[in-house]
Amino acid sequence: MAHILAQSIIRHKPILFLSKTCALVLSHAEAMLGLGHFEKGESFVSTIYQAKSIRTMDPHQPHATHIALKDRKILAVGTAQDVADWQAAWGPLELNTDFADRTLLPGFIEGHAHMMEGLLWDYHYVGYYDREGPDGTIWPGLKSIDDVVAHLKQIQATRNDPSEPLIAWGFDPIYFEGRRMTGADLDAVSGECPVAVLHASLHILNANNFIMDAADVKNADNSEYIRRDDSGKPTGEFLGQLGMYMAMRTTNLDLLAAASSPKTLQTFSQVARQTGVTTCTDLANPVPEGAEVAMRETVEKDSFPMRLVVAFQGNSLPPEESVARMQALQDKQSDKLRFSLVKFVADGSIQGFSARLKWPHYYNGAPNGLWYIEPDRLREYLTAFTQAGFQCHVHTNGDECTEVTLDAIEDALRAHPWPDHRHTLQHCQMASRAHFKRMKTLGVGVNLFSNHLYYWGDEHRAITMGPERAGRLDDAGGCLEEGVPLAIHSDAPVTALAPLFTAWCAVNRVSSTGVALGGESEKISVEQALYAITMGAAYSLKMDTEIGSLEVGKRADITILADDPIEVGAQGLKDISVIGTMVDGLVHLNKGRDA
Amino acid sequence: MNQTASHRLAPNVSLTIIAGFLGSGKTSLLNHLLTQSGGRKITALVNDFGALNIDSELIEAQHGNQVSLTNGCICCSIGDDLMRSLADIMRQDPLPDHLIIEASGVADPTRIAAYAAVDPQLRLDGIVTLVDAAAHQLHAQDPYLADNYHKQIEAGHMLLISKPDLVEDSQVEHLEAKLRASYPKTPQARVRHGHLPIEVVLGLQAETGEQTTPPHAPQILSTQIEDHGLASWSAHLHGGLSREVLAEKISSLTPHVLRAKGVLRDAQGAYALHYAGGRIHFEDLDVQPSGHFVLIGKPELPNAQALSDLFQTASA
Repeated sequence: MAHILAQSIIRHKPILFLSKTCALVLSHAEAMLGLGHFEKGESFVSTIYQAKSIRTMDPHQPHATHIALKDRKILAVGTAQDVADWQAAWGPLELNTDFADRTLLPGFIEGHAHMMEGLLWDYHYVGYYDREGPDGTIWPGLKSIDDVVAHLKQIQATRNDPSEPLIAWGFDPIYFEGRRMTGADLDAVSGECPVAVLHASLHILNANNFIMDAADVKNADNSEYIRRDDSGKPTGEFLGQLGMYMAMRTTNLDLLAAASSPKTLQTFSQVARQTGVTTCTDLANPVPEGAEVAMRETVEKDSFPMRLVVAFQGNSLPPEESVARMQALQDKQSDKLRFSLVKFVADGSIQGFSARLKWPHYYNGAPNGLWYIEPDRLREYLTAFTQAGFQCHVHTNGDECTEVTLDAIEDALRAHPWPDHRHTLQHCQMASRAHFKRMKTLGVGVNLFSNHLYYWGDEHRAITMGPERAGRLDDAGGCLEEGVPLAIHSDAPVTALAPLFTAWCAVNRVSSTGVALGGESEKISVEQALYAITMGAAYSLKMDTEIGSLEVGKRADITILADDPIEVGAQGLKDISVIGTMVDGLVHLNKGRDA
Repeated sequence: MNQTASHRLAPNVSLTIIAGFLGSGKTSLLNHLLTQSGGRKITALVNDFGALNIDSELIEAQHGNQVSLTNGCICCSIGDDLMRSLADIMRQDPLPDHLIIEASGVADPTRIAAYAAVDPQLRLDGIVTLVDAAAHQLHAQDPYLADNYHKQIEAGHMLLISKPDLVEDSQVEHLEAKLRASYPKTPQARVRHGHLPIEVVLGLQAETGEQTTPPHAPQILSTQIEDHGLASWSAHLHGGLSREVLAEKISSLTPHVLRAKGVLRDAQGAYALHYAGGRIHFEDLDVQPSGHFVLIGKPELPNAQALSDLFQTASA
């Protein structure tokens, strides 16, 4: 057999070569007509990038060193030995060695983030951890209330108009022992203008006494949402959306304005680029009439370094109207802007005690959480969108909510069978093996909130879930073992947008104080984690035929790293420097990095 | 921030929250309330416009997510962002007199009420929780929703038993007794197809809950009507009537009395009386009192003669 095969290869080689020559001629003709050029942006016709290492996420050829790009797509992937053949087949290909010492991966895909990340950078970051801004500035973490106050004082001293509201975000007192921030702390920044500090969770806000005086905290019955000191006096800390409402009423600012302004989009894309993300989601957006056009104008520009997948907020309208709006959005899409998903939020958050949990509920005895959509209504929506053929992503934090959502999906699929619906559970933090088995059967995918392990792991062990259940939090290992398609996410701006960090969390499963959550069965390998932030996420967005791996014919979306994550291994994964990205083959270098 | 100062001076907007499970009759009630605004500028924040089914003759204009009615009321759809919808309403000029929020079926109404705690222009009037007589058993035992259901009932300053016509009378009575046992201070009323006098629902005064019981009395001209399964009795109480005695007489009518209103006088001068949600509130007035007095309650209220006698003996 081997002998015959060899012969046939030899016999056919000249014929193959001939056809390749034809292709070469065609390619020249296209180039002359300008078909192979970009009309805008950087000028190259066809380029081969040489890298130290290319991790393709394509099982046929997992490792390579050279990649040829043409017409915004991937023309060929291989090694130095293939270059001569490519040149012969496809015509002149310029060899680019700018990244010869770098590692290339498929562009990272963030399957669950919010455009609000772009808006928050208009305000001042005061989080506990270092965070990289859109311009590459590293904002150092602030380790005490005094540090936060000192930082804001400094900002106040240098502002052009110190009477304007001063808004800060990312604050997280979980890490501070002892006292909590009060109105007096923030009066030290200024008592002459509104000063508001938004917590990392986005669900708590601290106000200065200027805001407190303007508001009228009078209804003593509602202490549940207003933190009070021992004497019963409000401290300036507000829970839920109350603080945000109060700050909005006092300042007349729309703090979280519908984030589709060009500036917000630009900032969002810059944060994404800094962390190697080439396709990012906005989960979700009510996409008011006209917003789709404004978004497209910004996203379409070659200088905009990101593909954007907008999930339509399904329950912003009643079911029928909602489906109609989604249908109307379909022809507003482009290669770079998609309106392909519908999003629902079915419960709250675990750390906010608003997630719906199964018995025995919260470890500290807090009452079970809240439904954000009643189960029957969720079923109604999922059925309507399943019938109309739209993929749905459902936020389910607690295990009871996961179960109820699976029931609703099953009912929708009984009514309107759809083999490749790819409905996806988002966060899905407390899913058990039994839930994963059911997802597998139903064809449901999952996108786990792995960053929680690090940021709230200690809290989940001690307060919300207890040690056993915290051990199965965001169980990526169990998910893959049961055969459920996996993606992992940051939920930016709730936690920092950085897929390599998210991968590190899923691989190592340790809290910020170094305590392990669960054992080996919940962990995944570095390879599996890298797959989750590329192909896994692409699959969850139904874009896996276009992006997610470096293989012939796919879009030329590439992440450029300083080091090879496979060689760096589990421990150093989060510290690998992101040099930049390519989107449609156009290079976008990061600020503050040497190419 | 000048607008802050002006906020404090501006009049209060009363907030009523209508809570209750999906299908318990919130929309029907709201629909009916909006037709009886009686000169109040009411703004309603609703979940679903379409479901409202407002009489087309009543619609003046529709812009995006807002419908203006010919009687001065406005309906706005919440979408999925109550906080922003509420902030938008409270930035409008002029502000409405009364804001009614239709809570979503699974909302915790105390979370919505909390907005009134921080907004100097917003005053919580009350939470009205609809309890579906036909689905009570189902809801109270729902494995996923029972806790939310009880939370809504507990939060109510008034409980409206909806769809009493769909079940046996004994079943409704059993439900009412059960609710009274658990929440003895919360007034109850039955509501069919949303038909209820607006006075029963608005003006619960949940926030100004202090019961002031100061001090005399009347000649009575009274009428009694029964409407929507409720009894209503109005009278002109000529002469003085002490606040204390009046409070005592009204209390003697619980649990059958739901609302009472009057513009009267006693030794201290003219006063207005509001009784709602189990609480009596008096307000000093500078005007000549009309002596007008209204009671709304359940059919179990004493008859007109008995009521006249009751308040006659109170008068001096």
